[in-house]
Amino acid sequence: MGRDLALLAPEIAVLLTAVGALIAEMLRRPRISLVVAVIGLVVATGMTLRLVGTDTTIFGGSFRIDTLSIWAKLILLPATVLSMLLARADVRGSAREGTVYSLLIFSTLGALVLAGAGDTMFLVLGTLLTGLATFALVAYPDTDPATEAAMKFFVFASVTTAIMIFGLSYWFGASGSTLIADLPGMDTMPLAVILGFVAVVVGLGYKASLVPFHFWAPDAYEGAPLSIAAYLSVVPKIGALFALTQVVRYLPPETGWTAVMAGLAVLSMTYGYLAALVQDNVIRLLAYSSIAQSGYFLLGILAVGSSELALPSIILFAAAYAAMNLGAFAIAATTGRTLNDFDGLGRTRPMLGIAMVIFLLSLVGIPPLAGFVGKFMLFAAAIDVQFTWLAVVAIINSVLSLAVYLRIIVPMYRSGESASVATDPWHGVVVITAFAATLIIGLAAQFFLV
Amino acid sequence: MLPLVSLTLFLPLVGAVLILCLPKPTARTVHGIAITSAALTLVGALAMWLQGVSSEGFSQVEELEWMPAIGAAYRVGVDGISLPLVLLSAVLFLVSLIYASSLRDRPRAYVALILLLETAAIGTFTALDGILFYVFFEVSLVSMYFMIAGWGHEERQRAALMFFIYTLLGSLPLLLAILGLYLGSPDPTFDMRAWIANPPLEGAAAMWALIAMLITFAVKIPAIPLHTWLPAAHVQAPTVGSVILAGIMLKFGTYGLVRFALQMTPDAFREAGIVVLFFGVVSAIYGAFAALAQTDLKRLVAYTSVNHMGYVIVGVAAAALTLDPAVRATALDGAVLQMFSHGLVTGALFFLVGMIQERARTREMGEFGGLLKTVPLLGWFFVLAAFASLGLPGLAHFPAEFQIFLATLGTTPIAVIVILGIAIIAGTFLKALRETFMGEPRDRWSEMPDLSPREILAVAPLLVLTVATGVAPSWVLDVIHRTTSALVL
Repeated sequence: MGRDLALLAPEIAVLLTAVGALIAEMLRRPRISLVVAVIGLVVATGMTLRLVGTDTTIFGGSFRIDTLSIWAKLILLPATVLSMLLARADVRGSAREGTVYSLLIFSTLGALVLAGAGDTMFLVLGTLLTGLATFALVAYPDTDPATEAAMKFFVFASVTTAIMIFGLSYWFGASGSTLIADLPGMDTMPLAVILGFVAVVVGLGYKASLVPFHFWAPDAYEGAPLSIAAYLSVVPKIGALFALTQVVRYLPPETGWTAVMAGLAVLSMTYGYLAALVQDNVIRLLAYSSIAQSGYFLLGILAVGSSELALPSIILFAAAYAAMNLGAFAIAATTGRTLNDFDGLGRTRPMLGIAMVIFLLSLVGIPPLAGFVGKFMLFAAAIDVQFTWLAVVAIINSVLSLAVYLRIIVPMYRSGESASVATDPWHGVVVITAFAATLIIGLAAQFFLV
Repeated sequence: MLPLVSLTLFLPLVGAVLILCLPKPTARTVHGIAITSAALTLVGALAMWLQGVSSEGFSQVEELEWMPAIGAAYRVGVDGISLPLVLLSAVLFLVSLIYASSLRDRPRAYVALILLLETAAIGTFTALDGILFYVFFEVSLVSMYFMIAGWGHEERQRAALMFFIYTLLGSLPLLLAILGLYLGSPDPTFDMRAWIANPPLEGAAAMWALIAMLITFAVKIPAIPLHTWLPAAHVQAPTVGSVILAGIMLKFGTYGLVRFALQMTPDAFREAGIVVLFFGVVSAIYGAFAALAQTDLKRLVAYTSVNHMGYVIVGVAAAALTLDPAVRATALDGAVLQMFSHGLVTGALFFLVGMIQERARTREMGEFGGLLKTVPLLGWFFVLAAFASLGLPGLAHFPAEFQIFLATLGTTPIAVIVILGIAIIAGTFLKALRETFMGEPRDRWSEMPDLSPREILAVAPLLVLTVATGVAPSWVLDVIHRTTSALVL
């Protein structure tokens, strides 16, 4: 037990940080709440570094301390810190400041639980924890669009989560165990395995905003404050995709789950970019782009278990995606919500312009940026397990994505006055950090190839 | 021992970063730094030239660990095929920056893009690692996009968009081929030397990889029917953009055709050689006819590029088809020399067309006449470059095309109909010269100034090299031949 708790130290630190941030808020000291939150998450990241290389399970196999869950912490905790710094401009001075920080951390904790899930009950727990915290985060501005977005989000999430729990009951019934690792023993009841798998895909697919479970995402992103949209597009999504990876590792190949993943990947990538192509609202555009990017993850996920390239590619792309997507959202937060707001940005604010170009080209997958190495590894993993056709589809979608992101880049270098609002200094910190990460992950990918 | 290749490769990038980091530099400083770093790059390229190449494999190789977990590393080096192209890049970028030194519209970003492009170009030619090659290949695309979109002519946005999407769509198949070569290697690596020494793919896999590569390089070269982006991009690109696009970036395609398609999937290439040869012949003839039909000088020069690159494809295909090592060496000698010559000659032609456009604000041949009398220096320079382009003996294209035809005659005699292209190109240029430069000068152009020292400095070096390569091609051919004569396929 002592060993288990020691291995769980980072998660415990995150939990304590969330509680600490909440207590500071109760004492009406929101500044201290932010300081506690940032320090707590940095400490938790530091504690995780100590664990790198560990591969074991705790609590009787129900929670995994492995490459995936460790990298989830190393990626998601810094991403949460950046999201809090982004959120600060939105919530400073409001009555809810500390609560927002606290909710962000609770939600991240849920994502971490998902990423390490070795037991179906942890899947449910993680989904609910992330879900409850993020509904409140979307709704907190108390405006009509925010309330509507939160409502849609809530209804969608409730239904999909209910379906997931329903399906998981089949797994439990068939195997008599809630451990994911016991799944291969259920060869005798293929129907139960398939039913459960479909249900898990529904539950996690909504969180990862995979097509066709994506409907909530553009509305929620648009209604929510931008900082929360940025957070939603990164942390819960990566948590859910890592959880999906943990599940499919143990699925017997006869169930044909790889074909399901391939189908979802094609749908998400293609629909995401096609829909993004007709958006005039930058937030909706980025929302559809993040739906498409989820599809790319699936190229790596379907190779799990068969290719050694799969896990490194998923982790590398997750780190790259977190950096470039947060960066793009941070710049959108300082610029505006419509494409017209980007007119002339590259001329009036050249450095911000260069940063935005780098983020968007990285999202396309242009070398030598982070997005390129990530996608490159994902393609390699897919080809390695004989899914060359899927890599071809993904590549065609990358070209489509160029057309999508150029819709933001082109107006930036048109003559015109960008309606750039006065920016919060912390936004600059977020942009610079994300910018540095996008370049460094691209050039020094070695450190992610575990 | 200095890491010469890496120094040459990254000097332009250092210049670009320096220019971007300076707080509010004047246009003079910006151009000064740019020209200095390009000049130093040329010094580096010349030093590489003096070191020379050995006959076996690659010389001056420099290696550094990068991603050992997947067998990717920073590996650069040259052989007789890439070294002339490195020298060509260093020369063309230096004269381009000299030509651009009069620019006052956002010069900082402009020259930074040119310098970034120079690093990408030299990197593409020297990379010996699959990923590294692809990185440089794509970076060049991005910088060229911003160059056309930011400083091009009226329709630049559309042309730039078309260029970017077309060539990105074109280059992604190469990524698949690289992944295929990587996963097919017995000991997975991205080392291009290993891929060349032991081609990792065979049978259908090799054929698919070859098809993917051919798509990529055909877009870049550009070969019929994937050439449609070229006239649009050239017409809208700024002069320096056109010079680099035609002079350097088209060579990415032909260089890749030799380095990747021919050397890494040789058996598949031999099987498909006749198809490649066919496309080469069609490109050369179609390019020549299309050039003949143009009235816009810049489009005319753009289409002659399609013709000249068609000869390179013919040469490479002949090298793949033949079984005689001597004929293969002749074919490749011709193909590589043709790339080198085309960079010099077409670079000069695009500069001269740009100078005419700057003066007259039009490029329609029908509007001119008698320019030889009004602007004699510009006129005679153009005549010289045009004669070089149509393959006059004593000028750069002649020895190259001669060797290509010689090798083709020894392999597939029927393909020699491609020689028709020369006659058509000759007609094209003679018509252009007559309409533009001969005859009586028109009054509206009587005030046209002749070349300024800056413009002479930009064009003259290219013309001097054109004559030098035409009269005594051995100074380049010796380097090329050392590698091609020892090539085992």
